[in-house]
Amino acid sequence: MAEQVLMPKQGNTVESCIIVEWNVKVGDTVEVGTVLCSAETDKSTIDVESTAAGTILALLYEEGDDVPVMLPIAIVGEEGEQFEMPQTEGQVEEKASEAQPQTAVAVAPEPEVVRVAAQGASPRARNAAQSQGVRLDTLGASGPKGRIIERDVLAAVGEPLSPVAKAAALQGGSVIPARGSGIGGRVVGADLAASVSSETAPQAEFVDIPLKGIRKITAERMMQSISTTCQFTMTAWADARALKRLRAQFKAARSELGLGGITIGDLVLYATAKTLVEYPSHNAHFLGDKTRQFSSVDLGIATDTPRGLLVPVLRFSERMSLRELSDASKTLISKAREGKAQPDELSGSTFTVSNVGAFGIEGFTPVLNVPEVAILGVGTITVKPVEDEDGDIIFTDQISLSLTVDHQAVDGAEAARFLRTLSDNIAAIDLLLAL
Amino acid sequence: MERYDLIVIGSGPGGYIAAQRAGTLGKRVLLVEEKELGGVCTNVGCIPTKSLLAGAKRYKSAIDGTAFGLEVEKAHFNYATAAAHKDETVKTLRSGIEFLMKSSKVEVVFGRAEVRDPHTVVVAEAVYQTDHLIIATGSRPALPPIPGADAPHVLTSDEILALTERPESLVIIGGGVIGVEFASLFSMIGTRITVIEMMDEILPMADAEFAKLLRREMKGVEFLLGSTVERIGEKSVTYTNKKGERKEIESTMVLLSVGRVPNVEGFEALGLDIDRSGIRVNDRMQTNLPTVWAVGDVNGRSLLAHSASRMAEVAVANIFGKKEMRMRYHAIPTVVYSNPEVAGCGLTEDEAKRLSIPVKSQTIQMRSSGRFIAEEGKRAGGLVKVIAHQESGAIVGIHLLGSYASENIWGAAALIEAELRVQDVKEIVFPHPSVNELIKEACFQLDPSL
Repeated sequence: MAEQVLMPKQGNTVESCIIVEWNVKVGDTVEVGTVLCSAETDKSTIDVESTAAGTILALLYEEGDDVPVMLPIAIVGEEGEQFEMPQTEGQVEEKASEAQPQTAVAVAPEPEVVRVAAQGASPRARNAAQSQGVRLDTLGASGPKGRIIERDVLAAVGEPLSPVAKAAALQGGSVIPARGSGIGGRVVGADLAASVSSETAPQAEFVDIPLKGIRKITAERMMQSISTTCQFTMTAWADARALKRLRAQFKAARSELGLGGITIGDLVLYATAKTLVEYPSHNAHFLGDKTRQFSSVDLGIATDTPRGLLVPVLRFSERMSLRELSDASKTLISKAREGKAQPDELSGSTFTVSNVGAFGIEGFTPVLNVPEVAILGVGTITVKPVEDEDGDIIFTDQISLSLTVDHQAVDGAEAARFLRTLSDNIAAIDLLLAL
Repeated sequence: MERYDLIVIGSGPGGYIAAQRAGTLGKRVLLVEEKELGGVCTNVGCIPTKSLLAGAKRYKSAIDGTAFGLEVEKAHFNYATAAAHKDETVKTLRSGIEFLMKSSKVEVVFGRAEVRDPHTVVVAEAVYQTDHLIIATGSRPALPPIPGADAPHVLTSDEILALTERPESLVIIGGGVIGVEFASLFSMIGTRITVIEMMDEILPMADAEFAKLLRREMKGVEFLLGSTVERIGEKSVTYTNKKGERKEIESTMVLLSVGRVPNVEGFEALGLDIDRSGIRVNDRMQTNLPTVWAVGDVNGRSLLAHSASRMAEVAVANIFGKKEMRMRYHAIPTVVYSNPEVAGCGLTEDEAKRLSIPVKSQTIQMRSSGRFIAEEGKRAGGLVKVIAHQESGAIVGIHLLGSYASENIWGAAALIEAELRVQDVKEIVFPHPSVNELIKEACFQLDPSL
């Protein structure tokens, strides 16, 4: 009996996963546990294992498709076996809510038979995309839950495509102009060829990279941040002499203490976590009708990964010793970079720190990680002249801090107080460690 | 002083269509014509030749119809009557254009237009102002520098149409569309015809195998290919044949059909870009002067009546709003109204090769059509050729030789314009029995899959 393999549920917040790459093809023999494909949630990459043994009879989605969790993605059975395509999405969604989390489950196919619906796109949208020569992965979505609906496809369609242009467009790699040079403005093959970079055209004027995966999510989140908040940034310099002194001491410390890996970034995170305990107004989410302050400081650490920007979350950071914090953040960051972070480790931060000091950046305007009300940007350490207690001008190491806050939730004076306290805490980081 | 939105100079199929289309848009339009409404097409081209060919084809059917049961005792072709029918047709169509101009609210003035500047036209001392100017002055037969070409028995296509009796013999210099059409016309009514063509094949725009078959089908016409006329005498034409030998052929009448030259005289002062083939235009039919446009033969881009009309529409569209409209030349049908007819649209195989476009083609004998055999007999020659892009399968050329070719070729233009592929054409239902269903058959032979 053919069995369906479902897109597994990934944590409580993940609604869908994008299939990045199929590891199997129709006709392959698989065991329970064979990795069928890798899929990307909004923050991490997971391996989807087969929950049935047998021969792959059908793969229901293509690479790049966005599939809601608990929907069938593949059918496994005996070779040559007749099977039925999965049923409508609504029916599956009902089942999904009662299915066990975290594991892929096999369910017998339902008797109702409907054609395979594209996920992330309604069946009507998928039909329209096929007939109009539009690639779904190039479209924005306006349907419920971010689904592409027919309207989105039709909006993307300009003048009709000739059969030749349609065939070429579906192969991808080309940009479809809104109006072509053919009869009635029809888009003909030559109009597409003009936008394809080919070997005969050594220097294409541009390359179009479809917006998808993490890039797409980042784009949406950033735009949402800018459009739904009233953010402003203030900058300050903090005395970094204690940071550098401590860092030097840790490096020189006996290796069995395990302090050598503690970085200046870790020290700043530590100071931030401790300071946020004093300023719950900054350790908060702005939810439109209320501000939610959190009792624990779950620090989001903006991380540059090969797949784009991810924000792994260091939970209960305020309770950690410096060494604990350093170890935990390193583990988290490397998991995120390798695409192994679990979805729950990539969401739910209460405050985010973005550190670009390693690049020698002096200051910048971090963009809020909504719904958080504040984000700290950490810049480079540079030598700056200051006046000491005796009135002499001395040159000291200073670290740059850029704090962006949402004015909807936090006023300027409060933000200034927070940033001042944080600067003082960083300057006196050795004292803070004693707390 | 009168001010117009548009002045059109020349009332051929480029000019009168431009005027009519603009007039129906509600624009104030003046059409200037030096001679008669309708231009070469109506007066000394498409229409009079079709009128004469109609009689000639009837005559040929009468004398050639024995196999179909037609026995005519004494068939006679009265050339004067045929010429009268031709004149009547021309007159009817001319008044049709006159009516069309009236109903489209286009003002017409007769006289030679003198263009003072891009916005000022003078006709018979009356000064007219305009925002835009369309030049549609057409072309005229080229007169080659052959000794004797100016003798009275040496005619151009304009003059030969004024004949009232059939010539006994005729030497036609130039085997292009015009030469071949007259060769067909006069050979059908018994004139002894010799066509002298400088190139190695007649009809340069046609697929080579089609030209060859047409020569074979035009029995009674002698074709001298690769031959150059040296001199035209009173009773003979001297030429050098393919082998370089000097020969002489007797004839009392000579037709010059060696091409056409654009009527660009009088526009030099405007500062227009003019080259050998005519007034230079972009694919919107705009000249180097932004408010001056040139359509039809005068721009030399495509010397066909239907091209001129389309160019007129493109120009008017660009002048009055639709700036994205462009002239496309890749699907313009060409027709030779010979007997049998030849029609083509799109690329020939030679052209595809020259343009490095990979193509596949299929040629079918028209004898595969039930209707063709029924109407022409099993020995008649005819071809259908479909040329498709090797990779995409898009139809890039269709060529027809045989009955109804002229009436069927528009379908080829539609297929090519729509960029339909072989697999798409196979889904179209063609009527049966017809000659055009062979287009579908050729597509199935190119790709037998269903």
